[in-house]
Parts: sequence; structure tokens; C-alpha cells
Amino acid sequence: MSDTVQASPDAAAQNTLVPVTVLTGFLGAGKTTLLNHILTAQHGRKYAVVVNEFGELGVDNDLVVDADEEVFEMNNGCICCTVRGDLIRILGNLMKRRAKFDGIIVETTGLADPAPVAQTFFVDEDVRGKTRLDAVVTVVDAYNVIQTLDESPEAVNQIAFADVIILNKTDLVDEVALATIESRIRSINAVARLHRAQRGDVPLSDVLDQGGFDLQRALEHAPRFLEDTSHSHEADVTSLSYEVEEPLDAAKFQAWIGAVLQEQGADILRAKGILNYAGEDQRFAFQAVHMMADGGFIGPWKEGEPRVSRLVFIGRNLNRPQLRRGFESCRAK
Amino acid sequence: MSDTVNDTIPATGLLERRGAMRQLEGQITGCTISRDSQQVAFATGEGDIAVADRADWGQSDAWNVMTVHDGAILAIAPDAAPTGFLTGGDDNALRRVAADGSVSDLAKGRRWVEHITTWSNGKGGVIAFSSGKQVELRDADGHTTLKVLDHPSTVSGIVFDAKGKRIAASHYNGASMWFVQAKVDTVRPLEWKGSHIGIAIHPAGEALVTSMQESELHGWRLSDGHNMRMSGYPSKVQSMAFTRNGKWLVTSGADTIVMWPFFGGGPMGKPPAEAGGLPGVMCTRVACHPVHDIVAAGFADGSVLMADTGAQRILPVCIGGSGAVTALEFSPDGCCLAFGSEDGRACVVDLSAK
Repeated sequence: MSDTVQASPDAAAQNTLVPVTVLTGFLGAGKTTLLNHILTAQHGRKYAVVVNEFGELGVDNDLVVDADEEVFEMNNGCICCTVRGDLIRILGNLMKRRAKFDGIIVETTGLADPAPVAQTFFVDEDVRGKTRLDAVVTVVDAYNVIQTLDESPEAVNQIAFADVIILNKTDLVDEVALATIESRIRSINAVARLHRAQRGDVPLSDVLDQGGFDLQRALEHAPRFLEDTSHSHEADVTSLSYEVEEPLDAAKFQAWIGAVLQEQGADILRAKGILNYAGEDQRFAFQAVHMMADGGFIGPWKEGEPRVSRLVFIGRNLNRPQLRRGFESCRAK
Repeated sequence: MSDTVNDTIPATGLLERRGAMRQLEGQITGCTISRDSQQVAFATGEGDIAVADRADWGQSDAWNVMTVHDGAILAIAPDAAPTGFLTGGDDNALRRVAADGSVSDLAKGRRWVEHITTWSNGKGGVIAFSSGKQVELRDADGHTTLKVLDHPSTVSGIVFDAKGKRIAASHYNGASMWFVQAKVDTVRPLEWKGSHIGIAIHPAGEALVTSMQESELHGWRLSDGHNMRMSGYPSKVQSMAFTRNGKWLVTSGADTIVMWPFFGGGPMGKPPAEAGGLPGVMCTRVACHPVHDIVAAGFADGSVLMADTGAQRILPVCIGGSGAVTALEFSPDGCCLAFGSEDGRACVVDLSAK
């Protein structure tokens, strides 16, 4: 787990894996509205849906599964390794009729910590072998979000974990307030894609098939936040982004990141990176949830694209200069 | 053997000489044989079952395929009666398929029916099925509810002891054992932290064993609750079975057939024996012969082997050629080995003397 960066199936195998979208968001943020929007839209695709409150879904879908969000602690020494065992079981059973759907959407309860859901995709061999976590999509209620973030660490975690943030109910606030809200969200998670919406009316291409593993896109705008140190005083959740222009030594990086996750995994909610390993023509994608890490080569660099290694940490109590020095020490000599 | 399937059966092993194969739609999710050993049934992820009468074991085009559930069949077991089957599905239904192929509803709830097990001594019997956190016990008629047993989390496996006196269920943080006939239900909790994903009981009731998410087994000696730990697997143990005399616990989860000794003080402090396997190919299903000291094992590449637990002899049933083996059972009289695969192959091998 923490001491090894497990290899993912290669890029070709990734395409045959069933994409799973995790839908989080605080109570009343508009998750169910978005879910209904996804299921009723004419996209010609079928989704199996794992929900937590049966009956709330107003759509006729024969692939709705009621889950109890049963979390357990893995017995492997990781202090924060909690996993959704029910999800392992449900995904396993859904895969028995694989031909019936194109993707799976997992809705979590409003107060749920996204970590156990995300970690489920790291720890279970069968889940890893058949599905891939496409994206964590967090729905945020623009009208209430500032207050919610002040009052609830769960809401902060949901934003920190997101690959995609849907800022919903934007019609209830003015443009000045929206700018404040987006800046607050960015201070927590600088790399998630942020979309504004009203009544969950986002284009589905913003929510589904995000190719969560292709972090290149996710990290594209990260440099803009690179030197933005205005939020570094916050002891609360922040994003730290680093770049190294010289190629990295794979072994050095793995040793360093393994130690970082081991020591600070409890505070690191997510880490993502696109790495340029010395002597490799392919980009190496790395991601971690708390102490669990995963990585694999995701295809060659584009023509003319700068071969820069980028790494982002989202978490609490992170030491910016220390992490920078550590990352820079992974350069191949 | 039917000519139509001749060319698709791998030309090595027992399946080719004494068996038949039929390609079904969807994954084979389970197979079982009726208590009278006269019918084999395969269940699929499409909600179908295929039933092979004993006279047709070598004639797969004569097998009767019918749709029983609206969705995947998650569980199949022999009925408590001498004939027929019970099935449970992700349509939340428990159904009975009689020997003549007629289907009837026994239960319909709000959760998937994920596990079914039955017990019979030839005179009376009990049916048990799990749905979410509950295990329901019914009389052999299938309609009279004897009791509903609640558990702290979703039940991942259920098993009767050999005498049908007790039933045990695995779940998070251990297993629960109950007396089937008790007037007041008092649970015997067997606790061990973690997610337990399957269960087996020693035929003489000496031990209860669960499979765990962390790719190991946990056991309790039932006389005193002493804990046993059996670890070292490269992957999760999805299938385990005690040999008929209780000497060995046979399991999947490695590239060999793993057997833990339950004699001479074992399994505590004893290494497991290995009854052969396929290098680099995971064993996915195991079954123990009801009469002889023989185990069968199915593998991730579709191969099936039989092995003698005493002598180190291996008999290939079929080698490779398809998706992982997902179902594997011997008939109660030991005359038939049935197995199915992830890619829909349903196979019957006739082991009877000819």
C-alpha cells in the first residue's frame, strides 16, 4: 500500500474497464437533480446507479441498487484505510451483467467522507481488475456553500476530493458572490474542473467520461496556482502544486512519495501527478488517496509538449518548502 | 457427446471424453446439482438457468434453458426437497424451479437475494437465504417463515452445520452463529475485526472459517472460540470447501490448490499443503468430492483439474480456452462434476462407471 506504488493495468486495458463516477455533495446541493438529469438525458448510454436513499430517484431505471454505505477498516496497518466493503460486493455483482450498462454512478450520502469510496478502487483486486474510478464529482450549492464550508469538515473534504465540481444554484447569488465562492473553492482544490450550473443543467460531457486517470487535463491549469501563496497560511485544506523540468528518477520518486504518504497520509487527502521519468517516452500518471497510491504509464508525450513533471497535493498541514525540496530531490542525476 | 459442441471443447482431459459443454448467454454465476443427483442447474448473469437431466448429461443441446429472474442470478442451491432448485437474484426475488421446469415465487423483498443454502436429512429440511443484513429461515415447503435473523452488516455468506442444528453467517467484524430450532434467538458472536467475505464450517462442527478481504482466512475453534489465522495468499479466497472427512480445508486464492490440515493440531502452526495447480494461473473455485478423497479446482484461464488429496495425482478435466471458472460443484452421489465460466461455458462431466 503505502510503500509501493502499484502498477495499474496499461492504457489499453484501461479502456475496457467500466468507468465509475462518484457523485458527492452536501445535503440539498442538488445531487439527486443532477442524477435525474444524467439518467433522463438522451445520450444513448445506460448507467447502473448505486444510491443510498432508495425511492428518492424519480426515474425509472432498472439498474438502481440500494446501498448502505458499509465502511470498514482495512487490517493492514494504515491508520486511515477505510473502505466501502458494500461497494466491492455491489460492483462485483453488477459486473456479472456487464453487457447491460456502459458505466456506473455511485451516489454518496450528503455527510459522507469520499475517502472510503475512493480507497475502494485502490485496495480491491477485483474492483481494480474490472472498473476504474472515472471521476469524483462534487455538487456544491452556491447559495449555502460558504456557510457549509465554515461549519462542516465533511464539505471541505468533498471539495478537496473532487475531480469535477458542479457549482449549482448559481441563479441564487450574484456575480460578486460567485467570484468569492469560486476563489474559496480554488483555495481548497486548485485542480478540479469547475462548472457553473442551475438546477443541475450541466452538459453531461462535463460530468461523465472525465477520464480521471488522464490527469494531464486536470493539471493543465495547475501552474497558475503554483506561486499563489496567498492561502498558505490556512491550516485548513489547501492545494500545493509543484513542477520539475528535469526528468525524474523513478526509483527516487517512488521512495520519496512512499515515505511522504506513510508519514503524512492522514493529512494528504489526494495527490496527483504527471511525471517525466528519465529514459521513458511515456507519461507516468500517479495518484493517491491518503496512504494509498497507484500509477501507470498513460501513453507518449504529445509532439512539442514540454516534458515537465507536475505534482499536486491537496490536504491539511502541508509543508510547502519541504515538499518542494523533496520533489526536486527526485531529479535524475 | 453432441456433435455440435465437439469442436469447441479443448481436446485434452476428461471433459472431452466424458462431458458436454453448452455456451450460454452471460456469465455463469453458479451451478448446483439436485439432492437426488438427477439434475444439474447452471445460473447466469442474464437471469437464466440451464437444467441438464441425468439422461442428457452428454447431450448439451437437450438441456432446458429458461429465464427465471429479471436481472442477474446471484445465488443457486438445491431445494430442501430431493428435486428442484432455489434461485435468488438482483431482482430481490427468491424463486423455486421444480424438476419439471415450473417456476414459483417464494419471496420478494427490498434487497438482493445474495445467498441461499438448504439442509435436509431426507425427512425434514430447512431453507435459508440472505437479503441485506437479514437471514431468513423457512420450512422446507418454502413458504413458512421460521425466523428472521438480523446482523450488524450485510451478510456475505451463510452455512448450516452438517446436522442442520446451527446456521452461521459471515459479515463485517466476524460471524454470527444461531440455533435453528431455538425458541428464543440468542446469537453466538464470533468476533474478528475486518470484512469477512465468505464462510465454511467443518463437517464435524469443529471449526468455523471465514475468508477475509485482506486475502487471508480466519477461523474459530468452536469448542472454545480459539482463533485461527491462515494467511499467505496472493489474492482473495473466493471459494473454500472442507473435504468429506474434515481433514482438509481446500481453498482457491493461489496458483495452486491450497489445503489446510485440520488434524494433528492443525491448522495452527502448520503450513498448508498444495495439491497441484497451474503456474501463474489463479485458482478461482474449489469443490470436494462427497465420496472419495478427490478435490476439483477451477482456474482463471478456464482450466479445471481434479486432484487426489492423498497421492499427488492430477487429472486434467479441461485445460484453458476460456474465461475464469466461476462455478464448480460435485453432485451429492459424486457421479457428476459441473462447472461454468465467466464467459458463459456450462460444462457437465459424467464421472459414473460405465
